[in-house]
Amino acid sequence: MNTLEICYMSAGNLSKLIQKKEVSPVEIIDAHLSRIDATEPFLNSFITLLADASRSAARQAEKDIQAGRYKGPLHGIPIGLKDLYNTGGVRTTSGSKIFDTFVPTEDCTVAAKFQQAGAILLGKLNMHPFAYGPTGENLDYGHMHNPWNPDMLTGGSSGGSGSATAAGQCTITTGSDTGGSIRIPAALCGIVGLKPTYGLVSRHGLTPLSWSLDHPGPMTRTVEDAAITMNVIAGYDSRDVASAKVDIPDYTSALTRNVKGLKIGVPKEYFEAPLDPQVKKAVEDAISLLESMGAEIKEVSFPMYNQSQAISSTILMAEATAYHRDLLQSDGQQIYEPVRQRLEAGLFISAADYLRAQQARTLLDQECRQLLNDVDLLAGPTEPVTAPEILSSRVMAGEQEIGVVGALTQYTRPYNINGFPAISVPCGFSDAGMPIGLQLAGRPFDELTVLRAAHAYEQATDWHTRRPPL
Amino acid sequence: MASETQLTREEFDDLAQRLGVTGEPAYLDELYAQVRGVFIGTATIREIDVSAVEPDMAFIPRIN
Repeated sequence: MNTLEICYMSAGNLSKLIQKKEVSPVEIIDAHLSRIDATEPFLNSFITLLADASRSAARQAEKDIQAGRYKGPLHGIPIGLKDLYNTGGVRTTSGSKIFDTFVPTEDCTVAAKFQQAGAILLGKLNMHPFAYGPTGENLDYGHMHNPWNPDMLTGGSSGGSGSATAAGQCTITTGSDTGGSIRIPAALCGIVGLKPTYGLVSRHGLTPLSWSLDHPGPMTRTVEDAAITMNVIAGYDSRDVASAKVDIPDYTSALTRNVKGLKIGVPKEYFEAPLDPQVKKAVEDAISLLESMGAEIKEVSFPMYNQSQAISSTILMAEATAYHRDLLQSDGQQIYEPVRQRLEAGLFISAADYLRAQQARTLLDQECRQLLNDVDLLAGPTEPVTAPEILSSRVMAGEQEIGVVGALTQYTRPYNINGFPAISVPCGFSDAGMPIGLQLAGRPFDELTVLRAAHAYEQATDWHTRRPPL
Repeated sequence: MASETQLTREEFDDLAQRLGVTGEPAYLDELYAQVRGVFIGTATIREIDVSAVEPDMAFIPRIN
């Protein structure tokens, strides 16, 4: 098997070969380090690469597996963590030079769970500073570049996770999603990104952006790998005040390739917003395919979608400013200017307006729950456009020119507000060869249905098998 | 802080000074534009009838 095949193999398939001892963790890590060496100058996915530590961990994994101590499907699998996941003994910068030398003393819960499962950490991934932006731009550690065209954005804030996964630098990565930061780079880089239900995956040990909107989750090349990852990282954690005490199913049990009888609602408001015609067609084709596979498609109305940007940004800005206020005062001049500007703008939000946004959040939640009484899932585009150019402030969505930041978050924010699970799965490419994502959202803690539909769609198409020209 | 839909430059400068926000004129121009966007957002929310609901952030005392 050649190096590139190893790098583009899913965790599901790699783990079968590892178990049969047809490929070793050392071979896998060496292949990925070679891939990183070859592609990193174009992508800039990593802030910290752990070449020696990952080789050493691979040798240990190989010994353990040879000795019959196989830990499960992530044993020996190369992963990358967004650089706001604390890692004991490994610096964690949150994407800012202010924390260039910050070395946590202990792992965050998710990192500890990956370690217990035998996954091998290749490095810490580049991100929009403090996760406060949807583009994947970063002057401190360099901008992230889209593997499908390095002049284009990866999307953010988990941009390094998007590029590393899409380019075969890592098999599995993690992101955090406050206004779309898992699903945005997933859609723009052509991979799978799952934002689990709020409280399902522990936030303990992650640098917060907005306490009530932050969701950690997996970014992978296949839906099966997202399910395998959820089996490892989901679960109650007493150190996270928002952690939910719910039963954790086997998420891979959702991978039935069957959508017969599923009711899928398509909010008409999604298609009244500015939307690139090529994206619109790809998403409509995806929904038609789901219908031909046996799903029942129904147009629905989600009026509060139109207020979701205002509700989300008011809550997010107030909470982000509250968290970073001391840093703003002590080191404000060192913060990436667009981020500093957003943090300072948050100072102008009154407590009354913040609380009114929280009241409106309740209404949006109620409206969405009502919708999901009638249908099992809501479907639509993840993004209204394909990846814009790096540092662009405006983008064309069809004949309409719109702001990049607002555009990238327009479809993702509602599910941060209500905390419902939502996935982005590849559903096509533009004429320019840039990926397009389909977003599917479900009821709280019903990741099984979200994964089931995403997997069935994925397996009926070949979008996930395409590789960027690197 | 201010809760009006419209924010004049003078009001912004006054608020910025009270909040300890400083910067070069070009930076403050951009921040002013951003804050006006924030005010448009909060005005949008103020148009929603929220009288029947509480903020979705109940604090539940822990037993231990």
